[in-house]
Amino acid sequence: MATVSKGNPWIFFGRLWLGIAYAFMFLPLAVLVLFSFQKNRFPGFPLQGFTLQWYDKLFSDGTLLNALGNTMIVSPAAATVATAIAFFAAYAFNRFTFRGKTTFLALVTLPILIPPLILGVGFLGLLARIHLSGTLFAVFLTHVVLITAPALAIIQLRLAQMPASLEEAAWDLGATEWQTVVKVVLPFAMPGIFGAWLLAFTFSFDEFIIAWFVSGFQPTLPVAIYSVLVAAIDPSLNAIGTIVFGISCLVLIGLELVLLPLLIGKPEKQS
Amino acid sequence: MTSAAPSPHDLELLSITKNFDSFTAVDSINLKVGRGEFVAIMGPSGCGKTTLLRILAGLETASSGQLYIRGKDVSDVPVNLRSTRLVWQNYALFPHLDVAGNIAFGLTLKAHDKAIVAGKVKAMADLVGLSDLMGRKISQLSGGQKQRVALARALVTEPDILLLDEPLSALDAHLRIRMQGELRRIQKQLGMAFIYVTHNQVEAFSMADRVVVMNKGHIEQIDAPEDMYARPKTEFVARFVGTNNLFPGRIQEIGHGKAIVHCAHGQVQVSTDDPPPVGTGVFVVVQADKLKPAPTGVAGENRLEATVRGREYAGSHNIYLLDLVDGTEVKMTLPQVLPLEINQPTTIWFSPAHAALIRGAA
Repeated sequence: MATVSKGNPWIFFGRLWLGIAYAFMFLPLAVLVLFSFQKNRFPGFPLQGFTLQWYDKLFSDGTLLNALGNTMIVSPAAATVATAIAFFAAYAFNRFTFRGKTTFLALVTLPILIPPLILGVGFLGLLARIHLSGTLFAVFLTHVVLITAPALAIIQLRLAQMPASLEEAAWDLGATEWQTVVKVVLPFAMPGIFGAWLLAFTFSFDEFIIAWFVSGFQPTLPVAIYSVLVAAIDPSLNAIGTIVFGISCLVLIGLELVLLPLLIGKPEKQS
Repeated sequence: MTSAAPSPHDLELLSITKNFDSFTAVDSINLKVGRGEFVAIMGPSGCGKTTLLRILAGLETASSGQLYIRGKDVSDVPVNLRSTRLVWQNYALFPHLDVAGNIAFGLTLKAHDKAIVAGKVKAMADLVGLSDLMGRKISQLSGGQKQRVALARALVTEPDILLLDEPLSALDAHLRIRMQGELRRIQKQLGMAFIYVTHNQVEAFSMADRVVVMNKGHIEQIDAPEDMYARPKTEFVARFVGTNNLFPGRIQEIGHGKAIVHCAHGQVQVSTDDPPPVGTGVFVVVQADKLKPAPTGVAGENRLEATVRGREYAGSHNIYLLDLVDGTEVKMTLPQVLPLEINQPTTIWFSPAHAALIRGAA
């Protein structure tokens, strides 16, 4: 650190390189937002002036908004159910030793390791047979299967930090097992549960491949965007993209605030 | 708590045994704890003392044996219905609750009147000296304060017996001594039986009415601290408690309240009312501070020829290491005003009344 001076050309090039890298990542987003407010039919210069017509079109047409509505039903529901399952599974894995524990854990984690394409085909076959394919409920079910694993991983990470004596102390003070889970384990796991929910939600929100297979006439947002895109280049996509980007930003900021401190570790000093 | 016929004992253990697979952690323990008695259970790590405490709390189930609290058989009573409370070594406080919330935890489980709960919590906070910290988060407390919260949280539920698992081991020396005094004061004030597990001899001896020394899952000796110190009954206790010298030997002659023991370095006399028969293998136990330089020019018993080998400075006194003629190592503590020269031969001496006999040497 001490040898670094202001005039060091390496530092200058380093900063330039960093700038280029960031520009590469964020320029597309900037362009997306910019052209959602421009009259241009195709993204290109010169700019033809500010307009809200694409948003207007988006709101009057309804296809994409409808899909966004579908997603906003499926993703929170799937995230909630997956987080609930993940909490109890994580609690069991953390607290008990039982036969087949490793196998069980592997089975829960498996869906996230299988290529979604394979999984999608499999789900389609299964759901068609039980007459559920092509429904929003099908998307919900498949997403629960998919996002339980990451939710489980995060909650387990949190519960692993809980000393066993904490639960024992609650029992010793007269709490039943259930009271202990509600009054001690749940509050302790809450940052993990919250982070897990946000992550599960994000996974479900932009999951495309499986949803493409099973959603049918009730497309989720990524599926609908793809359909519009196949038909023609429509600046409404920029508008919906901007809206989704806004939502994602909110979720990601939430994640960073809650999940990152948890992962990097801000452990309560217990002993 | 119970309205059953009063038992003279707060706690009674009848051949409590705990096996983990092929390993016996606790081996048929019999122990009676009187009303409001302070009992310290002491032993090296792995001796089964913590397992025994967890059995008392109900966190472990004994493999066999009976456990009575105030005359009631609680062997099959689950942990949350026992009238015992445990204070953990790492305190095990609930990090999401503040000090008041932690103390009130046990009371609120039973849906008491809120005003009553608040009153009890406040009274307990006063007792342990936490009144000014009620709104603090647990992470903002010092070790000593956490210890008080853990204590208050357990005591406020008015248990029959308080179990403490090395509660002071995480504190610094100064605080530890202060907390020892306070624990003893609180225990006397409440008249509650305390079972205190520790590997720290000073803690056990300074606080307890009786001390239990455990080794390899069984009890070696139960006695008042003074008796344990002065008259260890087994070789293990003699080596574990205090700074003792053990001389292996064989009983040569008994009578007149004395036994003459033949040791490798010569004969020694020991005062005893209950001598083992002649020929028994024994250890003669002499505490390091009962050995003295022999007065010159006077003949007498128990004079040992020795060479001073080393000196450890220990504040008010020195600990000398000496070799007897046969090579036996001896420890002797002397005040600073009585210095000995290193590598010089000397004669040391102990009174027959200050020695004890333990059976068991080959």
